[in-house]
Amino acid sequence: MSDVPQTIADASDRSNSLFDMAVRHRAILASVFLLMFPLIMPFKALAANILIYGLYALGFNLLFGFLGLLSFGHAALFGTGAYFCGIAIVHFGLPWYVAILIGTLGGAGMAAIIGVLAVRTRGIYFAMVTMALAQCVYYLFYQAEGWTGGENGLRGINVRVIDIFGLKFDFLDPLTRYYVIAAFVILALFVLSRILASPFGAVIEAVRENEARARASGYNVMLTRLLTFILSGAFCGLAGALAALHLSIVPIEMLHYETSGMVVMMALLGGMGTFFGPFVGAAVFMLLENLVSLWTVHWQLIVGAVFVACVLFFPAGIWGTILRRIHK
Amino acid sequence: MAGLSLDLIAVQLFAGLALGAIYVLFAIGLSLIFGMLTVVNFAHGAFFMVGAYVGLFVLMMGGNFWLALVVVPLVVGVIGLIVERFLVRPLYGRGIDYPLLLTFGLSYIMVELIRIAFGTTGYPFDTPELLQGAVDIGIGYFPLYRLFVLGAAAVVLLVLWLFLEKTSYGLIIRAGARDPQIVRVLGVDVSRVWLVVFGVGTGIAGLAGVLAAPLQGVIPEMGSTILAEAFVVTVVGGMGSIGGAVIAGLLVGVVVSMTSLFAPEMAKVSIFALMAIVLLVRPQGFFGRAGLMS
Amino acid sequence: MNSQSDADNGVILRTHDVSKTFGKFRALKNISASFPRGAITSIIGPNGAGKSTYFNLLSGAFPPSSGRVEFEGRDVTNVPQHKFAHMGVAKSFQITNVFPLLSTRENVRVALQALVSCYDIWRPRAKLPGLAEKADALLMQVGIWHCRDRVAKTLAHGEQRALEIGMALASDPRLLLLDEPTAGMSPEETRVMMDLIVKLARERTVILVEHKMKLVMGISDRVLVLHHGELLVDGTPSEVRQDQQVKRVYLGQREH
Repeated sequence: MSDVPQTIADASDRSNSLFDMAVRHRAILASVFLLMFPLIMPFKALAANILIYGLYALGFNLLFGFLGLLSFGHAALFGTGAYFCGIAIVHFGLPWYVAILIGTLGGAGMAAIIGVLAVRTRGIYFAMVTMALAQCVYYLFYQAEGWTGGENGLRGINVRVIDIFGLKFDFLDPLTRYYVIAAFVILALFVLSRILASPFGAVIEAVRENEARARASGYNVMLTRLLTFILSGAFCGLAGALAALHLSIVPIEMLHYETSGMVVMMALLGGMGTFFGPFVGAAVFMLLENLVSLWTVHWQLIVGAVFVACVLFFPAGIWGTILRRIHK
Repeated sequence: MAGLSLDLIAVQLFAGLALGAIYVLFAIGLSLIFGMLTVVNFAHGAFFMVGAYVGLFVLMMGGNFWLALVVVPLVVGVIGLIVERFLVRPLYGRGIDYPLLLTFGLSYIMVELIRIAFGTTGYPFDTPELLQGAVDIGIGYFPLYRLFVLGAAAVVLLVLWLFLEKTSYGLIIRAGARDPQIVRVLGVDVSRVWLVVFGVGTGIAGLAGVLAAPLQGVIPEMGSTILAEAFVVTVVGGMGSIGGAVIAGLLVGVVVSMTSLFAPEMAKVSIFALMAIVLLVRPQGFFGRAGLMS
Repeated sequence: MNSQSDADNGVILRTHDVSKTFGKFRALKNISASFPRGAITSIIGPNGAGKSTYFNLLSGAFPPSSGRVEFEGRDVTNVPQHKFAHMGVAKSFQITNVFPLLSTRENVRVALQALVSCYDIWRPRAKLPGLAEKADALLMQVGIWHCRDRVAKTLAHGEQRALEIGMALASDPRLLLLDEPTAGMSPEETRVMMDLIVKLARERTVILVEHKMKLVMGISDRVLVLHHGELLVDGTPSEVRQDQQVKRVYLGQREH
């Protein structure tokens, strides 16, 4: 599906043009941008939200953009990350950093469970099966009221102070909060860029490009899909955990179908299979949501229309289209 | 457990079949569209929901339920025709994911338009007077309306079967589902057939929506719930197989209904467990061809 | 039977009584054959003879409905496809099958990597030792080194087929399976490909499926003729040429 963006990434051989250099150091450039971002963004809480959903879209994009599997059930991974992180704090009184780790592992674990069933299918079935299983996860968390708060969501995730090696940061201050979250997102960006440049990254590309050939070359396609799904789940779980800390509550809507659909929209708006596209998509989506809802409650109408227009006319997404222009 | 007489189980089984009938109607359109166009219509739930609201509108305008049964599939089917012609058609040949993404975005728009027109809260939907009450079906009293739903589904299936088996259009559709290339070689205008199939499929979804309305009321979000459940039906039955959709639809209805009798807290989750088992044992579904899946 | 000694009696691949049915259609009927090591064996037959089905059984694309496939004395009937490359069996597809958006060199490099590293998500793949050099060597061997930096889908048809063979060679296979390697090629491209196959066969066993009988008669050590899913003849090219049955079903077909 992703036509041009990937070949751009591959062209980073030994050419010395500015563009290729930017591609090679994309994780650093992206990090610098994220550090500067709150300076141009008037609403710090929204900036943090864009970070979190950008990370969520980044995890989704690893599966959709790079491997070519369209999941409509990523809310289950995002939501599990959030709930596990929240439960670790609320029910077990664990410190915030342990909670984040548990959330990340929770996302990966849920991805492993859903993945084992879903990777047995492909293409269109994959979208349907992931959506159905995510719906199942939604009901399970909904009914485990004792742990999750059910319909009311999980409340009381109060982290006021973040202390790192004796240094104390006020987590209630929006800017500090943004940078704490940004630190994790930047870490994730570096991990992702390593994965994409690793031997396994080549396998992901190979499977997307030509499954039968990858199999004949000696790659286990099913296992590759499953592992990528789990990695994707870890990123989304981390995003969920950060969301739980940021919101200090986990609403049940985080597991809802619309949260799965939202990330599909973000990834496509930004540009699937591009490194930074998910953040662009998340930013556009959230800005649209915030700006349009100042004017009408029916912001989903506008978002839906923009998305449909994107599918019809700009399938490479905003960032993907920009990259294409620069590359030509 | 003492209260669970055999009669109760039988009645519950019957209720499950009635619920399954809704699934069948919904999933048949989905399967028909997929089998012919290889498009997974993610807006199918939205068409279902619009069907219920169009029915509501007919009642609001002073019409009755029977009029709604005629008007709804026509109106929703025409919307389907427009969608296929102007939105889905430009995407053929651009990869299997694009029509899926488009219909997904479309469902957002449809849901929001309904919210604008009818508000975000739901409405009750009265059971038509003629179909209120219960009848004795030998094993116990059974709500008349549910019986009617079963009958209506059977009629739709019969009409659809006649259409597919006895008309020249149906012949083309059946051939096309097997091999679109052949139809093209025969010089048939395939895009016209696709248009009709999309219209028929969405029209049936609309009809399912208005039939379901008295059972569950109408709210803008009613489509996404049944969409997930219909995917279960499709995976269990095998995509593109109409026979599979019928049997799996009824089965899923019965499973929901039986678990809500024996283990109500598992009712929502049970069908997904059913899907998981099918995926593990027979990934292509009951009637699916193995090739489609891998 | 004598499968124990296959490893040293000169048989590399063997099928015992394999059949394949698709629904009600019996594509292959009880074929038993053995393939000598170090030889070029061609599988020929008219359209619909079951050649491709047989090829897919040999290469592990799908298992037979009944019967057994043995490679070097080992039962590989239900071994999944991706393990074949690791056992020393490689194949090329009937329809050109490369990684279209990757560069020519990256195509081969990925194929080479399969034997070195599949699931390492951390070390940079550029640092895997020797892969780039090996990739270049393979590209030279199949004669498309000059295309190394081009995106694979922009290569000419013949070049893509050569690339595919280069990728198949990446695992340094003892057995190379080729499904209609000259399909869709110009006469010139076909000649180059046939020369390449003969060259490759000096160091390994080659089994190839071919529709055009004439092409393979000159280079094959053995020829199997399939017809209607059955093994009609199994012999040397001259035996096959003499065979009355073959003349009837195969050659005769062209005359009338």
